[in-house]
Amino acid sequence: MYKNGLSYVSSCLFVLIAHFAMLAVVFFNGDYLETKDVLILASTVISFDLVYFIAMLFFKQMTYSIDFMLILILNMSVIFQSCFGRVVLDKKHFITCIAAVVACRLGYILCRNHNFIQTKKKHIFIINLIIIICILTLTGSRSMWIDLGFTTIQPSEFLKPAFILACSTSIIEQQKKVKILCFNVVKQNVVLTGLIILIVGLQWWCRDLGSLPTFVAIYLCGLVYRLCYPKAKFSKKILVISGVIFAVLIVLALKFAPSYVQDRLKVDIWSDKTGDGYQQCRALIAIAEGGWFGKGPGQGILHNIAASETDIVFSSICEEWGLLFALMMIIVILIMLMLPLINPPRSYFHTTMTTGVCAAFIVQMALNIFGSCNLIPFTGVTIPFISQGGSSMVTSGFMIGMIIAGQSPVFKRQKRKRKSAKGGAK
Amino acid sequence: MKSVKRGQRLIALILLAFIAGMIILVVKIQKEASFYMINNNHQVIGKVYDRNGSVLFDTPKNYYAYDENYFIDVGNIIGDNAGQMTNTLVAKNIEKLNNYSFSTGLVESGGKSAIYTTLDHHANQAVYNAYGEKKGCAIAYNYITGEILICTSLPSVNIVKLYANIDDFETGTLISKNLYGTVPGSTQKIPTLIAAVETMGKEELFSKKYTCNGVYTNRSGQTIKCHKLDGHGEQTISEAFSNSCNPYFAQLVEDTQLPLESIKKVYNNLGYSINGEKKNYIEIDGIVSETASTTLENSYDFDTQWGCIGQGDTLVSPLQMMLWQSAIANTSGKMTMPYLIDHVTNVKGKITDRAETKLSKSVFSAETAQTVKEIMLENGKNYSETISGYELGIKSGTAQVKNGEEENSLLAGFVNDRRHPIAFCVLIEDKNSGNLKSEYIVKTMLDALCA
Repeated sequence: MYKNGLSYVSSCLFVLIAHFAMLAVVFFNGDYLETKDVLILASTVISFDLVYFIAMLFFKQMTYSIDFMLILILNMSVIFQSCFGRVVLDKKHFITCIAAVVACRLGYILCRNHNFIQTKKKHIFIINLIIIICILTLTGSRSMWIDLGFTTIQPSEFLKPAFILACSTSIIEQQKKVKILCFNVVKQNVVLTGLIILIVGLQWWCRDLGSLPTFVAIYLCGLVYRLCYPKAKFSKKILVISGVIFAVLIVLALKFAPSYVQDRLKVDIWSDKTGDGYQQCRALIAIAEGGWFGKGPGQGILHNIAASETDIVFSSICEEWGLLFALMMIIVILIMLMLPLINPPRSYFHTTMTTGVCAAFIVQMALNIFGSCNLIPFTGVTIPFISQGGSSMVTSGFMIGMIIAGQSPVFKRQKRKRKSAKGGAK
Repeated sequence: MKSVKRGQRLIALILLAFIAGMIILVVKIQKEASFYMINNNHQVIGKVYDRNGSVLFDTPKNYYAYDENYFIDVGNIIGDNAGQMTNTLVAKNIEKLNNYSFSTGLVESGGKSAIYTTLDHHANQAVYNAYGEKKGCAIAYNYITGEILICTSLPSVNIVKLYANIDDFETGTLISKNLYGTVPGSTQKIPTLIAAVETMGKEELFSKKYTCNGVYTNRSGQTIKCHKLDGHGEQTISEAFSNSCNPYFAQLVEDTQLPLESIKKVYNNLGYSINGEKKNYIEIDGIVSETASTTLENSYDFDTQWGCIGQGDTLVSPLQMMLWQSAIANTSGKMTMPYLIDHVTNVKGKITDRAETKLSKSVFSAETAQTVKEIMLENGKNYSETISGYELGIKSGTAQVKNGEEENSLLAGFVNDRRHPIAFCVLIEDKNSGNLKSEYIVKTMLDALCA
């Protein structure tokens, strides 16, 4: 059992106080038509907190730190999204938050036993392929969305946790080497490389290049583990060679990137304020207008701009809540990702899985925040848990469940194996 | 366990990279927030003041409080935020005027963001009015500190009237002519003199005597005329400078002791772009000013000699001409770099930016500066009646423009007085169309500044 500084009750109180404080800001400084709107929002948030605290008691875990951070950020997100433009509970976003919690539990249950998940490695690769086929066949012409009529889903989001699981590896798997030509290679590594090539090609075809860095980051983390195995230290030689190959690939990708990508790389947003640079210019102006403490919940104007709750959500929060609060929000997500440093995963498999999740989260946050603030080219990706979007929210919840699984693993052998072992003894 | 720790290190590395990016982002936002706000539709702009607290720019909503021609003397150097003029103090420093800071946000009323310039509004008005119906420009600055005191250019824009009749504006209305190249006329003899002193030395140059018969036929067989048709006779450099004798300077350029390469070197140091080189510019608080350009291909060729005399291809901005005066007047050979903004206050009234005096690198030697100063002061004695009350180092010029159809009158010089260390350059366009003399403008300018 990990030694955590805070008890379960103290953690519950901390989360509640944080949400009460935010709701107080909404009440005293927010823009709402009726007090009823704030009360509905408050009761929803607090009820969600309380139900979550009770529900968590049904799960026996070694630590609940990430769970508390999760409910903290989810309800922060509900408050943020409900305030854009005017304070009214964003029901759709609230439902996706509940879906994220459910997905988190699923992720935890599915991944907590590394022996179980390792036996399903073939299935994981098949799931990856199925999602890829879905993208190819079910989405519109070279699109990334599947229209279900009542809603749309983005299958490439679901590919992220599936790909992380494909990248996750155990020591045993890395010992299974075969000779191809004159090289001793791990067969699974070759398959994984084939899979990332397939994904890159698919993303290129779908024109969803925004997600590409996320997949590449996950793959690189997995690759580093795999190539450097079994040495305890990273092999500098391998890292340098990989780095050079990666740099060459990046240069080639940039050179042969589609014209709309090249345009985004070159665009001077301030000289094209009404064209390609419109969203970023408005986003930066909104941050400047918000200052340190913001205009007040519901008092921003960035919600009139397209993708204000998704691609430029950081700026929307800065405008209404201030840069200080937006940074606090980022810190909460970072703490969630830092907790594996304090409470490390208990197995090699979980370590590789956790690293993949961290890489995916960080790259997505970086692409969104730095892109919308013109530090890097702008791409349409989401900030996990903060941006609106069902697919993103469910996927993020699932991936956090994977980290929790690494912290509270179950070391049970598969029943089938135990039976066969017993049978063997007879 | 080692492999798990390796995983932690990788996670830590990824997180640290992101945190570093966030720090860069926060610093960037802090630094650029004011710029972002200037691009916003809603702005609260502060005022621009002269050195005595007189307003030189105010937001259009306050224009009603000023007389119709209140801003016209500095209209095209101070400018406004209408976007019609881009090379002006307001256009280039609009961020500094924004009543905004990241911590206070946009302050709708009571913000104290302001720019305090070095200009003297009263003196500028006096000079502007002295031009009457004529066009031209005048610039003056303190050659010890670098403060620009006068910068007026005619025709000018009346920002109070906004731009309703912009189609009727005359050419040059929206720019300050002080910042752009113009044919210098015989004021060009100052850099040529500097090149000669720098190359030959004082004694050698003063021993040189050339004869002017009114017309000089150079070694290429081309003729250079003097403004005195019967010639000046045999002259020394000092006499030729005072007489502004073209044949003397043509012979000087041909002299083997003054190789063309030496002239080019000195001209380059003075800021010239030669023979089609990329144009040089200097920046004064964001405002861009051209320096000078000329053609120097062959010492015996008419174009080169004509250029060294100040006609033909040669162009010098009045501001650049004024800067050379500082290097001479200070007898240091270093130009005092000019500035327009004395200090800036932020939204809370705190001074955030204060100007400092800066000198250029040495453009010619102190000995050369001393010699040229003596020659110019000697010439200045000729103006003791028209510009009375000041010890001046001065050089006049008549520039042929529009293929010789018009002549501009120039006067560049300095006051040799440490209490009133003023360097100046005055230009009157089409001097023959009226009775206005450049001496009168200089006298008005100095009287206004030294009163």
